[in-house]
Amino acid sequence: MLKKALSDCGIRIADCGLPIAIAEFGLRIAEYPIPKLLAAIAFRNPHSETRIRNPNSAFRIPHSQIRILPSAFRIPQSLMPYLYNTPDDQREMLRAIGAESIDELFAPIPADLQLKRSLDLPPAMSELELDRHLQMLAGLNDHAAKKVCFLGGGSYDHFVPAVVDAIAGRSEFYTSYTPYQAEASQGNLQVMFEYQSLITRLTGMDVANSSLYDGASAAAEAVLMALHAHPQRRKIVAPASVHPQYRETIATYLANLDAELVTLDCPGGVIDADALAATVDGDTAAVLVQQPNFFGCVEDADRASAIAKTAGALLISVFDPISLGLLKRPGDYGASIAVAEGHTLGTPMSYGGPYLGIMACDQSLVRRMPGRIVGETRDRRGKRCFVLTLQTREQHIRREKATSNVCTNQALFAVRASVYLAQLGPQGLRETASLCLQKSRYLAGRLCENDRFSLAFAAPTFKEFVIRDAANDVDGLLRTALEAGYLAGLPLAPWYPELSDCLLIAVTEKRTKAELDGLVHALSAAPARQEALS
Amino acid sequence: MRNTRDTQLLFDLSKPGRRAARLPACDVPERPPEELLPAGAIAAAAPALPEVTEPQIVRHYVNLSTQNMSVDTHFYPLGSCTMKYNPKRNERAAAMPGFADLHPLQPAETIQGMLHVLYEMQQYLSEISGLAACSLQPAAGAHGEYAALLVAAAYFRDMGQSEQRKRVLVPDNAHGTNPASAVMAGFDTVAVKTLKNGGVDMADFYAKLDDRIAVFMITNPNTVGIFEPAMRELADAVHQRGGLVYLDGANMNAILGVTRPGDFGADMQHYNPHKTFSGPHGGGGPGAGPICVTKRLAPYLPGPVVEKELRGASCEAREDEIAPFSPLSPRNSQLHRYSLTSPPKSIGRVRSFVGNVGVLLRAYCYIRTHGPDGLRAVSENAVLNANYLLSRVKHFLPVPQGDRCMHEFVASGSRLKAERGVAAMDVAKRLLDFGYHAPTVYFPLTVPEAIMVEPTETESKETLDAFAETLFRITGEDPQLLHEAPHTTPISRPDEVQAARQPTLCCPVF
Ligand SMILES: Cc1ncc(COP(=O)(O)O)c(C=O)c1O
Repeated sequence: MLKKALSDCGIRIADCGLPIAIAEFGLRIAEYPIPKLLAAIAFRNPHSETRIRNPNSAFRIPHSQIRILPSAFRIPQSLMPYLYNTPDDQREMLRAIGAESIDELFAPIPADLQLKRSLDLPPAMSELELDRHLQMLAGLNDHAAKKVCFLGGGSYDHFVPAVVDAIAGRSEFYTSYTPYQAEASQGNLQVMFEYQSLITRLTGMDVANSSLYDGASAAAEAVLMALHAHPQRRKIVAPASVHPQYRETIATYLANLDAELVTLDCPGGVIDADALAATVDGDTAAVLVQQPNFFGCVEDADRASAIAKTAGALLISVFDPISLGLLKRPGDYGASIAVAEGHTLGTPMSYGGPYLGIMACDQSLVRRMPGRIVGETRDRRGKRCFVLTLQTREQHIRREKATSNVCTNQALFAVRASVYLAQLGPQGLRETASLCLQKSRYLAGRLCENDRFSLAFAAPTFKEFVIRDAANDVDGLLRTALEAGYLAGLPLAPWYPELSDCLLIAVTEKRTKAELDGLVHALSAAPARQEALS
Repeated sequence: MRNTRDTQLLFDLSKPGRRAARLPACDVPERPPEELLPAGAIAAAAPALPEVTEPQIVRHYVNLSTQNMSVDTHFYPLGSCTMKYNPKRNERAAAMPGFADLHPLQPAETIQGMLHVLYEMQQYLSEISGLAACSLQPAAGAHGEYAALLVAAAYFRDMGQSEQRKRVLVPDNAHGTNPASAVMAGFDTVAVKTLKNGGVDMADFYAKLDDRIAVFMITNPNTVGIFEPAMRELADAVHQRGGLVYLDGANMNAILGVTRPGDFGADMQHYNPHKTFSGPHGGGGPGAGPICVTKRLAPYLPGPVVEKELRGASCEAREDEIAPFSPLSPRNSQLHRYSLTSPPKSIGRVRSFVGNVGVLLRAYCYIRTHGPDGLRAVSENAVLNANYLLSRVKHFLPVPQGDRCMHEFVASGSRLKAERGVAAMDVAKRLLDFGYHAPTVYFPLTVPEAIMVEPTETESKETLDAFAETLFRITGEDPQLLHEAPHTTPISRPDEVQAARQPTLCCPVF
């Protein structure tokens, strides 16, 4: 029956067994006239079988029966949009190589290790089909234009100016590799040098590298730096007000090393200075401070810094780049290493990545820094230029003695951050920070007009804050708000069981008064659970 | 056309009072910051960022961009980096608001489309690797190596062998990230020698293999571009000693659909989707480093991973009810739901949120564009192109590994150096004058004057011919001309010693 269906489609079947004929059909299409093929396309089911579809009938062949046959012919390039080699090219190239077939080139792979079937993946799609498929999938997501986003916790719905996309969309930037050949990469190198300069100005630190993966892994790398700088000290102190995912990442990085992560409770939403002073000791290599912290509260960074310094420990600042339009810079309060999640500088939320790990440090630590660093120098003719430098820290030179294993970084997001910072300038950054502050405080105030809601912590906040629901029905609140079109906030229960009646709400410069009032209305209208009220 | 005049530093364009961005007026009642924030926390002044206009920004960066070579403008045969064409449809897809404007902590029910892509990626990558489970967390290849080694460490801890198994064996031609990752993960590294053809020196391997082995890291095809001849034996020997085999998957572009790491003995691997699956390199990043592992290592994977629940039942049980490739049709969205979970004995997270999903989304587009046969065609043509170029180059630049390669080969400039005093770096720099990006040079360290060429499948025979002819011409050029090359680029031969000795790493604030 299958033979008949295929021959109905004009496809001749070799004398070999049926499954082989199918494989030939599926994998070596070039042997058959294309127009006929289009009438009978092989669909590979992701699960277990291959389907042959023609206008009249459908058949299923178990994958286990499919075999790949050697053949000199390859997929017609019409099906493969990025390949150049025509069958004639291939023949000529094989002749020059002195090989009979492409399969012969794979002969060094022992036959018993070669895959005897085709990969179990969905069939190829044209660009139009792919676009339609992705539009469908994207349409299933409630993105920021569909639901007003009040979510924070390390990712924020800040505005991205068009100029950022225009520059980062230059393919000379996004399709180039790491600037190992300085002469062919002065554009990237100068942008990196300027990025490092912008970050040092933003943070008040001495030097910056040219990017790490993201904020959390940058924090973990900072911890490793501190441990190397203090080989006798084994303790890292992180208050509970540091982003839980950052602390989890640090814990992962320390799991197999001789070091200990000590978490300091923050019942008041900020570091308790006395408790910190009692925890930090001569064995402490570093103290982490997040500013503003995970709850949005502004820490007394000067105090934490003084405590760390007294014990001879390094202060690692985890900062919010936007906040530096208003708040003191990490360098101002004596941080030795400053790290941040930099996506807020010109990169959309992108479901969490790729992002930008910012790292800056004291001059004294520069040779311990992970990642690539760009420096200024002169060329053969005395012209100012830029190169990758201090490479003896890095894995490609030092291998197991390197300061870190980082190779590929997030260079394109350093480009985005640079353009963003240039676009905003000092004034724009200040205004952005100010809008975040004013709007979030307005929202907090409005919410607390309702007796049901109160601020969980007394400390002043910047763009995020924690509200407590007296009715203890965070899930209900979130559900009601979602129906009204708002992603109202992050429930804290997964990370802080004692805050299971609390919601972390973030407000960026993008939120309008109408949206803020709308959220207040939606949350106030939420019915409280019966048992909570009684 | 390149404008060489407008390349001042961004900071030199600054003038007080200029600005590019205007923000909306504040639409809520304002209070002075001093009332809202503690006085001690407020900065004395805004950071000293440049004050420039938008047209200045655009001219500055656009002109800088023209000082780069890139895949879109030049042949870029940089070995080990797989500088293939970066499809535009992938870029457009990643920028769709339905993907780009999602918050990473949104409730699962609001991101089912995104989670579908990620779930499918886990499945595809597992299938391509022949390994049971996948985590998309790591942010780059090196991060994947590191995460997988942490998985191995957790596994051995569980087996009560963590004291015993401290050693990671790494061939001496491996990428530098391999030993660096092993040390970060708390292991000791032991270098294993390799032979002239690039294969592992079996005598040295056996001399170093004992019950202390935790992991053997191997790049296959390896960094000289050959398929490890003793792969099966190596893997069996490691397994016999109770160790695990890690595959550095940077060279997957050679073997898609041809052979699978899980089938040739690997227990774990990472991918570099920014190489194999066409993610643009972005001038150094971003990448992604998803890892796949065997079933027995799956419980230790870094989380979160995406899970598919089927009407409350586990998905394997009811998979057959779902029509293929229309997983989210109205009928099927009632059948299943995606969510994030952490594997039961997870090593934890190695970064924030799920992973570099923008890179993975592009890889998804790439895999869907090619399908199974297309992916195999990618590898076939990558290998064909490399062998063809090798057949043309070997006549004037010796290729110690022999006449055949997989997706790349390493020529040696040592004869050129001995006879004419021309270094691999001279050749690399001179190629820039002819409009070619240089191959990777001086890697792997085991080949003297290494010139590592990876043409990729997205180049034509004509390009390869022209490149080979240029390379041939260069090998005959006046050595002095070559020492001073390049001659046509914006700058030539920067003083790297000076840069490192007295580092100037940022522009001072005046
Ligand atoms: C063989 C090999 N292994 C590992 C890596 C590291 O990957 P990544 O740069 O993505 O961290 C690379 C790439 O640079 C590589 O070529």
